[in-house]
Amino acid sequence: MESVRTIPQKQIYKAIIEAIGQIYCQSTPETKSLLNQALAIEEDDVAKDMLQAMLLNEELAAKEQLPICQDTGIVIVFADIGTETKIENGTLYSIVSEAVNDAWGKYYLRDSIAEEPLRYFSNPQKKSKYYSQPVILHLSEILGNKLELHISLKGGGAENCSTLKMFNPTATLTEIEDFIIDTVVSAGGKPCPPVFVGIGIGGDFEQCAILAKRALMIPLPDSEKKPEYLQMEKRILNKINQKGKGVQGFGGKTTALKVNILSQPCHIASLPIAVNIDCHAHRCISISV
Amino acid sequence: MRVIKINLPLQPQQKKELKVRDKIMLSGELYTARDQAHIRLTQMIKEGKPLPFDLLNSALFYCGPAPIPPGKVCGAIGPTTSARMDKYTPLLLENGLRVMIGKGERSKDVTEEISKYDAVYFICVGGISALLAQSVVSCETFCWKELDAEAIYRLVVKDFPCYVAII
Repeated sequence: MESVRTIPQKQIYKAIIEAIGQIYCQSTPETKSLLNQALAIEEDDVAKDMLQAMLLNEELAAKEQLPICQDTGIVIVFADIGTETKIENGTLYSIVSEAVNDAWGKYYLRDSIAEEPLRYFSNPQKKSKYYSQPVILHLSEILGNKLELHISLKGGGAENCSTLKMFNPTATLTEIEDFIIDTVVSAGGKPCPPVFVGIGIGGDFEQCAILAKRALMIPLPDSEKKPEYLQMEKRILNKINQKGKGVQGFGGKTTALKVNILSQPCHIASLPIAVNIDCHAHRCISISV
Repeated sequence: MRVIKINLPLQPQQKKELKVRDKIMLSGELYTARDQAHIRLTQMIKEGKPLPFDLLNSALFYCGPAPIPPGKVCGAIGPTTSARMDKYTPLLLENGLRVMIGKGERSKDVTEEISKYDAVYFICVGGISALLAQSVVSCETFCWKELDAEAIYRLVVKDFPCYVAII
Protein backbone atom coordinates (compact mmCIF):
# COMPACT_ATOMS: atom_id res chain seq x y z
CA MET A 1 0.00 0.00 0.00
CA GLU A 2 1.24 3.50 -0.80
CA SER A 3 2.11 5.71 2.14
CA VAL A 4 -0.09 8.58 3.24
CA ARG A 5 0.71 11.80 1.38
CA THR A 6 -0.29 15.18 2.71
CA ILE A 7 -0.77 17.85 0.05
CA PRO A 8 -0.43 21.46 1.14
CA GLN A 9 -3.46 23.62 0.37
CA LYS A 10 -1.31 26.13 -1.52
CA GLN A 11 -0.10 23.45 -3.94
CA ILE A 12 -3.63 22.51 -4.98
CA TYR A 13 -4.68 26.16 -5.16
CA LYS A 14 -1.76 27.05 -7.45
CA ALA A 15 -2.28 24.01 -9.68
CA ILE A 16 -5.94 24.93 -10.25
CA ILE A 17 -5.19 28.57 -11.07
CA GLU A 18 -2.54 27.41 -13.53
CA ALA A 19 -4.87 24.84 -15.10
CA ILE A 20 -7.64 27.43 -15.61
CA GLY A 21 -4.98 29.74 -17.08
CA GLN A 22 -4.27 27.09 -19.69
CA ILE A 23 -7.85 26.38 -20.74
CA TYR A 24 -9.71 29.70 -20.67
CA CYS A 25 -7.83 30.85 -23.77
CA GLN A 26 -7.66 27.59 -25.73
CA SER A 27 -9.63 24.44 -26.27
CA THR A 28 -8.07 20.98 -26.00
CA PRO A 29 -5.36 19.99 -28.53
CA GLU A 30 -7.77 17.29 -29.78
CA THR A 31 -10.39 19.97 -30.55
CA LYS A 32 -7.99 21.95 -32.71
CA SER A 33 -7.00 18.84 -34.61
CA LEU A 34 -10.67 17.86 -35.14
CA LEU A 35 -11.52 21.40 -36.32
CA ASN A 36 -8.67 21.18 -38.81
CA GLN A 37 -9.99 17.83 -40.05
CA ALA A 38 -13.49 19.30 -40.37
CA LEU A 39 -12.08 22.21 -42.38
CA ALA A 40 -10.17 19.83 -44.67
CA ILE A 41 -13.33 17.93 -45.71
CA GLU A 42 -15.74 20.89 -45.78
CA GLU A 43 -17.12 22.05 -49.12
CA ASP A 44 -19.63 24.67 -48.00
CA ASP A 45 -18.06 28.13 -48.26
CA VAL A 46 -19.83 29.61 -45.23
CA ALA A 47 -19.01 26.58 -43.06
CA LYS A 48 -15.37 26.84 -44.17
CA ASP A 49 -15.31 30.53 -43.33
CA MET A 50 -16.70 29.79 -39.84
CA LEU A 51 -14.26 26.93 -39.18
CA GLN A 52 -11.35 29.13 -40.24
CA ALA A 53 -12.60 31.79 -37.82
CA MET A 54 -12.68 29.21 -35.00
CA LEU A 55 -9.10 28.15 -35.69
CA LEU A 56 -7.94 31.74 -35.99
CA ASN A 57 -9.67 32.51 -32.70
CA GLU A 58 -7.76 29.72 -30.99
CA GLU A 59 -4.45 31.24 -32.08
CA LEU A 60 -5.45 34.77 -31.25
CA ALA A 61 -6.94 33.97 -27.85
CA ALA A 62 -3.79 32.17 -26.74
CA LYS A 63 -1.61 35.00 -28.02
CA GLU A 64 -3.72 37.84 -26.59
CA GLN A 65 -4.61 35.93 -23.42
CA LEU A 66 -8.31 36.52 -24.04
CA PRO A 67 -11.01 33.93 -23.35
CA ILE A 68 -11.90 31.84 -26.44
CA CYS A 69 -15.53 32.43 -25.51
CA GLN A 70 -17.08 35.27 -23.52
CA ASP A 71 -19.08 32.59 -21.73
CA THR A 72 -16.24 31.48 -19.51
CA GLY A 73 -18.68 29.01 -18.08
CA ILE A 74 -19.45 27.15 -14.94
CA VAL A 75 -16.50 25.27 -13.43
CA ILE A 76 -16.89 21.52 -13.27
CA VAL A 77 -14.32 19.43 -11.43
CA PHE A 78 -14.10 15.66 -11.22
CA ALA A 79 -11.67 14.93 -8.42
CA ASP A 80 -10.29 11.43 -8.08
CA ILE A 81 -8.84 11.37 -4.61
CA GLY A 82 -6.66 8.60 -3.25
CA THR A 83 -7.53 6.69 -0.10
CA GLU A 84 -4.04 7.63 1.19
CA THR A 85 -4.24 11.29 0.13
CA LYS A 86 -4.66 13.88 2.84
CA ILE A 87 -5.39 17.52 2.18
CA GLU A 88 -3.79 19.94 4.58
CA ASN A 89 -6.05 22.65 5.98
CA GLY A 90 -9.56 22.72 4.70
CA THR A 91 -11.71 20.80 2.29
CA LEU A 92 -10.99 20.27 -1.38
CA TYR A 93 -14.20 22.18 -2.12
CA SER A 94 -13.02 25.28 -0.25
CA ILE A 95 -9.63 25.20 -1.99
CA VAL A 96 -11.18 24.79 -5.44
CA SER A 97 -13.63 27.61 -4.73
CA GLU A 98 -10.92 29.99 -3.61
CA ALA A 99 -8.75 29.15 -6.62
CA VAL A 100 -11.64 29.64 -9.04
CA ASN A 101 -12.56 32.96 -7.46
CA ASP A 102 -8.97 34.21 -7.79
CA ALA A 103 -8.49 32.77 -11.31
CA TRP A 104 -11.62 34.67 -12.39
CA GLY A 105 -10.10 37.94 -11.22
CA LYS A 106 -6.66 37.17 -12.59
CA TYR A 107 -7.77 36.23 -16.11
CA TYR A 108 -10.76 38.61 -16.45
CA LEU A 109 -13.35 35.86 -16.79
CA ARG A 110 -17.09 36.48 -16.75
CA ASP A 111 -19.20 35.89 -13.66
CA SER A 112 -21.85 33.68 -15.22
CA ILE A 113 -23.48 32.16 -12.15
CA ALA A 114 -26.71 33.72 -10.93
CA GLU A 115 -26.89 33.43 -7.17
CA GLU A 116 -30.62 32.76 -7.15
CA PRO A 117 -31.74 30.36 -9.90
CA LEU A 118 -35.29 31.67 -9.64
CA ARG A 119 -34.53 35.31 -10.29
CA TYR A 120 -37.94 36.26 -8.94
CA PHE A 121 -36.65 35.31 -5.51
CA SER A 122 -33.40 37.35 -5.61
CA ASN A 123 -32.88 39.89 -2.91
CA PRO A 124 -33.46 43.27 -4.61
CA GLN A 125 -31.28 45.04 -1.99
CA LYS A 126 -28.22 42.98 -2.88
CA LYS A 127 -25.86 44.83 -5.19
CA SER A 128 -24.30 41.94 -7.07
CA LYS A 129 -26.07 38.74 -7.98
CA TYR A 130 -23.43 37.27 -10.26
CA TYR A 131 -20.49 35.12 -9.29
CA SER A 132 -17.96 32.60 -10.62
CA GLN A 133 -19.33 30.00 -8.21
CA PRO A 134 -20.39 27.64 -6.81
CA VAL A 135 -18.31 25.13 -8.70
CA ILE A 136 -19.70 21.69 -9.43
CA LEU A 137 -17.44 19.18 -7.70
CA HIS A 138 -17.69 15.40 -8.14
CA LEU A 139 -15.51 13.37 -5.79
CA SER A 140 -14.47 9.79 -6.44
CA GLU A 141 -12.25 7.55 -4.38
CA ILE A 142 -9.25 5.83 -5.92
CA LEU A 143 -6.67 3.57 -4.31
CA GLY A 144 -3.29 5.07 -3.48
CA ASN A 145 -2.11 8.59 -2.63
CA LYS A 146 -2.82 10.50 -5.83
CA LEU A 147 -5.05 13.49 -6.45
CA GLU A 148 -6.27 13.79 -10.03
CA LEU A 149 -8.31 16.83 -11.00
CA HIS A 150 -10.29 17.01 -14.23
CA ILE A 151 -11.40 20.57 -14.78
CA SER A 152 -13.75 22.06 -17.35
CA LEU A 153 -15.13 25.53 -18.05
CA LYS A 154 -18.50 24.81 -19.56
CA GLY A 155 -20.70 27.28 -21.40
CA GLY A 156 -24.45 27.50 -20.83
CA GLY A 157 -25.64 27.41 -24.44
CA ALA A 158 -24.46 23.86 -25.07
CA GLU A 159 -25.43 22.63 -21.61
CA ASN A 160 -29.01 23.83 -22.27
CA CYS A 161 -29.33 21.44 -25.21
CA SER A 162 -28.63 18.35 -23.11
CA THR A 163 -31.26 15.67 -22.45
CA LEU A 164 -31.93 12.69 -20.19
CA LYS A 165 -34.53 10.02 -20.79
CA MET A 166 -35.50 7.01 -18.72
CA PHE A 167 -36.00 4.33 -21.38
CA ASN A 168 -37.57 0.94 -20.86
CA PRO A 169 -34.90 -1.76 -20.66
CA THR A 170 -36.40 -3.31 -23.80
CA ALA A 171 -35.81 -0.19 -25.91
CA THR A 172 -34.12 -1.06 -29.20
CA LEU A 173 -30.70 0.24 -30.15
CA THR A 174 -32.37 2.21 -32.93
CA GLU A 175 -34.72 3.92 -30.48
CA ILE A 176 -31.81 4.85 -28.23
CA GLU A 177 -29.60 6.08 -31.04
CA ASP A 178 -32.44 8.08 -32.60
CA PHE A 179 -33.02 9.84 -29.27
CA ILE A 180 -29.33 10.78 -29.06
CA ILE A 181 -29.14 11.89 -32.69
CA ASP A 182 -32.35 13.90 -32.37
CA THR A 183 -30.99 15.67 -29.27
CA VAL A 184 -27.99 16.93 -31.22
CA VAL A 185 -29.73 17.63 -34.52
CA SER A 186 -32.76 19.41 -33.06
CA ALA A 187 -30.42 21.65 -31.05
CA GLY A 188 -29.41 23.19 -34.39
CA GLY A 189 -27.06 26.16 -34.00
CA LYS A 190 -27.88 26.77 -30.33
CA PRO A 191 -25.02 24.77 -28.74
CA CYS A 192 -22.41 26.30 -31.12
CA PRO A 193 -21.66 23.32 -33.35
CA PRO A 194 -19.50 21.52 -34.21
CA VAL A 195 -20.08 19.97 -30.80
CA PHE A 196 -18.79 17.22 -28.57
CA VAL A 197 -21.36 14.67 -27.47
CA GLY A 198 -21.04 12.90 -24.13
CA ILE A 199 -23.39 9.99 -23.60
CA GLY A 200 -24.21 8.28 -20.33
CA ILE A 201 -25.82 4.86 -20.48
CA GLY A 202 -27.05 3.12 -17.34
CA GLY A 203 -26.62 3.95 -13.68
CA ASP A 204 -29.63 5.69 -12.20
CA PHE A 205 -31.16 9.11 -12.92
CA GLU A 206 -28.34 11.31 -11.60
CA GLN A 207 -25.48 8.90 -12.18
CA CYS A 208 -26.40 8.67 -15.84
CA ALA A 209 -26.07 12.46 -16.22
CA ILE A 210 -22.73 12.36 -14.41
CA LEU A 211 -21.55 9.62 -16.79
CA ALA A 212 -22.49 11.80 -19.76
CA LYS A 213 -20.53 14.73 -18.35
CA ARG A 214 -17.58 12.50 -17.55
CA ALA A 215 -17.72 11.12 -21.11
CA LEU A 216 -17.30 14.70 -22.37
CA MET A 217 -14.49 15.61 -20.03
CA ILE A 218 -12.62 12.35 -19.41
CA PRO A 219 -13.47 9.97 -22.25
CA LEU A 220 -12.04 6.47 -22.16
CA PRO A 221 -9.26 5.80 -24.66
CA ASP A 222 -10.66 3.89 -27.65
CA SER A 223 -8.52 0.89 -26.69
CA GLU A 224 -10.43 0.55 -23.42
CA LYS A 225 -13.88 0.74 -24.97
CA LYS A 226 -16.00 -2.31 -25.64
CA PRO A 227 -16.01 -2.75 -29.45
CA GLU A 228 -19.82 -2.55 -29.52
CA TYR A 229 -19.73 0.87 -27.87
CA LEU A 230 -16.96 2.07 -30.15
CA GLN A 231 -19.07 1.10 -33.18
CA MET A 232 -22.11 2.76 -31.65
CA GLU A 233 -20.14 6.01 -31.19
CA LYS A 234 -19.05 5.96 -34.82
CA ARG A 235 -22.56 5.18 -36.05
CA ILE A 236 -24.08 8.02 -34.01
CA LEU A 237 -21.40 10.49 -35.15
CA ASN A 238 -21.91 9.60 -38.81
CA LYS A 239 -25.68 9.81 -38.58
CA ILE A 240 -25.56 13.21 -36.83
CA ASN A 241 -23.21 14.59 -39.48
CA GLN A 242 -25.26 13.14 -42.34
CA LYS A 243 -28.19 15.32 -41.22
CA GLY A 244 -26.23 18.35 -42.41
CA LYS A 245 -27.04 20.86 -39.64
CA GLY A 246 -23.39 21.80 -39.88
CA VAL A 247 -21.23 24.51 -38.41
CA GLN A 248 -23.30 26.82 -36.20
CA GLY A 249 -26.43 25.12 -37.58
CA PHE A 250 -25.82 26.95 -40.84
CA GLY A 251 -25.10 23.87 -42.96
CA GLY A 252 -22.02 21.80 -43.71
CA LYS A 253 -20.49 18.41 -43.17
CA THR A 254 -19.58 18.60 -39.51
CA THR A 255 -22.20 19.07 -36.78
CA ALA A 256 -20.40 16.92 -34.20
CA LEU A 257 -16.66 16.45 -33.78
CA LYS A 258 -16.69 13.48 -31.41
CA VAL A 259 -19.08 11.16 -29.61
CA ASN A 260 -18.01 9.48 -26.37
CA ILE A 261 -19.99 6.94 -24.37
CA LEU A 262 -19.59 5.85 -20.77
CA SER A 263 -21.78 3.08 -19.40
CA GLN A 264 -22.42 1.26 -16.16
CA PRO A 265 -24.84 -1.37 -14.90
CA CYS A 266 -28.38 -0.33 -14.05
CA HIS A 267 -31.59 -1.59 -12.42
CA ILE A 268 -33.48 -4.29 -14.35
CA ALA A 269 -36.48 -1.97 -14.74
CA SER A 270 -34.46 0.96 -16.08
CA LEU A 271 -32.35 2.16 -18.95
CA PRO A 272 -31.36 5.77 -18.38
CA ILE A 273 -29.76 7.57 -21.33
CA ALA A 274 -28.19 11.03 -20.93
CA VAL A 275 -26.81 13.24 -23.66
CA ASN A 276 -24.55 16.10 -22.59
CA ILE A 277 -23.32 18.51 -25.25
CA ASP A 278 -20.24 20.73 -25.29
CA CYS A 279 -19.48 23.43 -27.83
CA HIS A 280 -16.37 23.60 -30.02
CA ALA A 281 -14.87 25.87 -27.34
CA HIS A 282 -14.14 22.65 -25.46
CA ARG A 283 -12.15 23.67 -22.41
CA CYS A 284 -10.99 20.67 -20.39
CA ILE A 285 -7.80 19.71 -18.63
CA SER A 286 -6.65 16.86 -16.40
CA ILE A 287 -3.92 17.44 -13.83
CA SER A 288 -2.20 15.46 -11.10
CA VAL A 289 -1.39 17.32 -7.92
CA MET B 1 -20.15 33.64 -50.48
CA ARG B 2 -20.83 37.32 -50.97
CA VAL B 3 -19.24 39.72 -48.52
CA ILE B 4 -21.10 42.99 -47.95
CA LYS B 5 -20.11 45.94 -45.79
CA ILE B 6 -22.90 47.56 -43.84
CA ASN B 7 -22.83 50.80 -41.90
CA LEU B 8 -25.51 50.96 -39.23
CA PRO B 9 -28.24 52.07 -39.05
CA LEU B 10 -29.20 49.75 -41.91
CA GLN B 11 -30.79 51.64 -44.81
CA PRO B 12 -33.94 50.08 -46.36
CA GLN B 13 -32.29 50.23 -49.80
CA GLN B 14 -29.30 48.20 -48.65
CA LYS B 15 -31.51 45.76 -46.74
CA LYS B 16 -33.24 44.87 -50.01
CA GLU B 17 -29.94 43.65 -51.49
CA LEU B 18 -29.27 41.15 -48.70
CA LYS B 19 -29.65 37.42 -49.14
CA VAL B 20 -29.56 34.63 -46.56
CA ARG B 21 -25.96 33.36 -46.05
CA ASP B 22 -24.32 36.61 -47.20
CA LYS B 23 -21.35 37.48 -45.01
CA ILE B 24 -21.70 40.93 -43.50
CA MET B 25 -18.98 43.19 -42.17
CA LEU B 26 -20.94 45.35 -39.79
CA SER B 27 -19.85 48.80 -38.66
CA GLY B 28 -21.55 51.20 -36.29
CA GLU B 29 -23.33 51.09 -32.97
CA LEU B 30 -24.73 47.99 -31.25
CA TYR B 31 -26.52 47.62 -27.93
CA THR B 32 -26.11 44.36 -26.07
CA ALA B 33 -29.19 42.84 -24.45
CA ARG B 34 -29.81 39.37 -23.13
CA ASP B 35 -32.44 37.72 -20.94
CA GLN B 36 -32.72 40.16 -18.02
CA ALA B 37 -32.44 43.28 -20.21
CA HIS B 38 -35.24 41.90 -22.40
CA ILE B 39 -37.48 41.52 -19.38
CA ARG B 40 -36.84 45.15 -18.43
CA LEU B 41 -37.27 46.54 -21.96
CA THR B 42 -40.55 44.65 -22.32
CA GLN B 43 -41.78 45.90 -18.96
CA MET B 44 -41.00 49.52 -19.91
CA ILE B 45 -42.84 49.22 -23.21
CA LYS B 46 -45.88 47.75 -21.46
CA GLU B 47 -45.84 50.57 -18.91
CA GLY B 48 -45.47 53.19 -21.67
CA LYS B 49 -42.12 54.41 -20.34
CA PRO B 50 -39.45 55.75 -22.71
CA LEU B 51 -36.70 53.21 -23.48
CA PRO B 52 -33.04 53.99 -22.71
CA PHE B 53 -32.27 54.07 -26.45
CA ASP B 54 -34.18 54.48 -29.69
CA LEU B 55 -35.16 50.98 -30.84
CA LEU B 56 -35.83 52.06 -34.42
CA ASN B 57 -32.24 53.02 -35.19
CA SER B 58 -30.54 50.49 -32.96
CA ALA B 59 -29.16 47.04 -33.49
CA LEU B 60 -29.54 44.57 -30.62
CA PHE B 61 -26.71 42.14 -29.98
CA TYR B 62 -27.63 39.15 -27.78
CA CYS B 63 -24.46 39.18 -25.77
CA GLY B 64 -22.98 39.35 -22.30
CA PRO B 65 -19.34 40.38 -22.68
CA ALA B 66 -16.48 39.26 -20.45
CA PRO B 67 -14.69 41.92 -18.33
CA ILE B 68 -12.22 44.22 -20.07
CA PRO B 69 -8.58 43.37 -19.26
CA PRO B 70 -6.27 46.35 -18.70
CA GLY B 71 -4.99 47.88 -21.92
CA LYS B 72 -7.78 46.37 -24.05
CA VAL B 73 -10.76 48.07 -25.65
CA CYS B 74 -13.07 45.22 -24.71
CA GLY B 75 -13.00 41.72 -23.28
CA ALA B 76 -14.00 38.50 -24.99
CA ILE B 77 -17.27 39.11 -26.78
CA GLY B 78 -19.71 37.00 -28.73
CA PRO B 79 -23.31 35.94 -29.25
CA THR B 80 -25.56 34.05 -26.87
CA THR B 81 -28.44 31.79 -27.97
CA SER B 82 -31.06 34.01 -29.61
CA ALA B 83 -33.99 31.63 -29.14
CA ARG B 84 -34.17 32.57 -25.46
CA MET B 85 -35.15 36.08 -26.55
CA ASP B 86 -37.89 34.84 -28.90
CA LYS B 87 -40.75 35.45 -26.49
CA TYR B 88 -39.82 39.16 -26.20
CA THR B 89 -38.92 39.80 -29.83
CA PRO B 90 -42.37 40.38 -31.43
CA LEU B 91 -43.11 43.28 -29.04
CA LEU B 92 -39.70 44.84 -29.73
CA LEU B 93 -40.25 44.50 -33.49
CA GLU B 94 -43.66 46.13 -33.10
CA ASN B 95 -41.90 49.02 -31.36
CA GLY B 96 -39.31 49.60 -34.04
CA LEU B 97 -36.50 47.07 -33.66
CA ARG B 98 -35.11 46.11 -37.09
CA VAL B 99 -31.66 44.55 -36.57
CA MET B 100 -30.80 41.63 -34.26
CA ILE B 101 -27.54 39.73 -33.92
CA GLY B 102 -27.13 36.43 -32.09
CA LYS B 103 -26.59 32.75 -32.66
CA GLY B 104 -28.83 29.85 -33.59
CA GLU B 105 -32.31 29.50 -35.03
CA ARG B 106 -35.37 31.60 -34.17
CA SER B 107 -38.88 30.30 -33.57
CA LYS B 108 -41.34 30.03 -36.45
CA ASP B 109 -43.30 32.99 -35.04
CA VAL B 110 -40.25 35.23 -34.75
CA THR B 111 -39.09 34.23 -38.22
CA GLU B 112 -42.45 35.34 -39.62
CA GLU B 113 -42.45 38.56 -37.60
CA ILE B 114 -38.96 39.42 -38.87
CA SER B 115 -40.25 39.22 -42.46
CA LYS B 116 -43.44 41.07 -41.60
CA TYR B 117 -41.55 44.04 -40.14
CA ASP B 118 -38.89 43.97 -42.84
CA ALA B 119 -36.28 43.39 -40.15
CA VAL B 120 -33.13 41.30 -40.32
CA TYR B 121 -31.52 38.70 -38.08
CA PHE B 122 -27.77 38.20 -38.38
CA ILE B 123 -25.84 35.40 -36.75
CA CYS B 124 -22.23 35.56 -35.76
CA VAL B 125 -20.10 32.57 -34.85
CA GLY B 126 -20.27 31.58 -31.21
CA GLY B 127 -17.10 30.72 -29.32
CA ILE B 128 -14.75 32.97 -31.29
CA SER B 129 -14.78 35.77 -28.77
CA ALA B 130 -11.13 36.78 -28.89
CA LEU B 131 -11.43 37.21 -32.65
CA LEU B 132 -14.70 39.18 -32.47
CA ALA B 133 -13.15 41.46 -29.84
CA GLN B 134 -10.72 42.67 -32.51
CA SER B 135 -13.64 44.27 -34.37
CA VAL B 136 -14.82 46.26 -31.37
CA VAL B 137 -13.75 49.89 -31.32
CA SER B 138 -15.36 50.77 -27.99
CA CYS B 139 -17.37 49.05 -25.26
CA GLU B 140 -19.04 50.87 -22.39
CA THR B 141 -21.77 50.03 -19.91
CA PHE B 142 -24.80 51.95 -21.17
CA CYS B 143 -27.38 51.18 -18.47
CA TRP B 144 -28.41 48.74 -15.73
CA LYS B 145 -24.85 48.25 -14.52
CA GLU B 146 -26.15 46.13 -11.63
CA LEU B 147 -26.94 43.40 -14.16
CA ASP B 148 -23.20 42.93 -14.68
CA ALA B 149 -22.71 40.86 -17.87
CA GLU B 150 -26.47 41.11 -18.45
CA ALA B 151 -26.41 44.93 -18.46
CA ILE B 152 -26.85 46.89 -21.68
CA TYR B 153 -23.48 47.77 -23.17
CA ARG B 154 -23.04 50.23 -26.03
CA LEU B 155 -20.54 48.93 -28.55
CA VAL B 156 -19.04 50.59 -31.57
CA VAL B 157 -17.84 47.98 -34.04
CA LYS B 158 -15.84 48.09 -37.25
CA ASP B 159 -16.14 45.27 -39.80
CA PHE B 160 -17.74 42.96 -37.25
CA PRO B 161 -18.21 39.61 -39.08
CA CYS B 162 -21.69 38.07 -39.22
CA TYR B 163 -24.00 36.32 -41.67
CA VAL B 164 -27.56 36.99 -42.82
CA ALA B 165 -29.75 34.30 -41.23
CA ILE B 166 -33.32 35.59 -41.53
CA ILE B 167 -34.71 38.40 -43.67
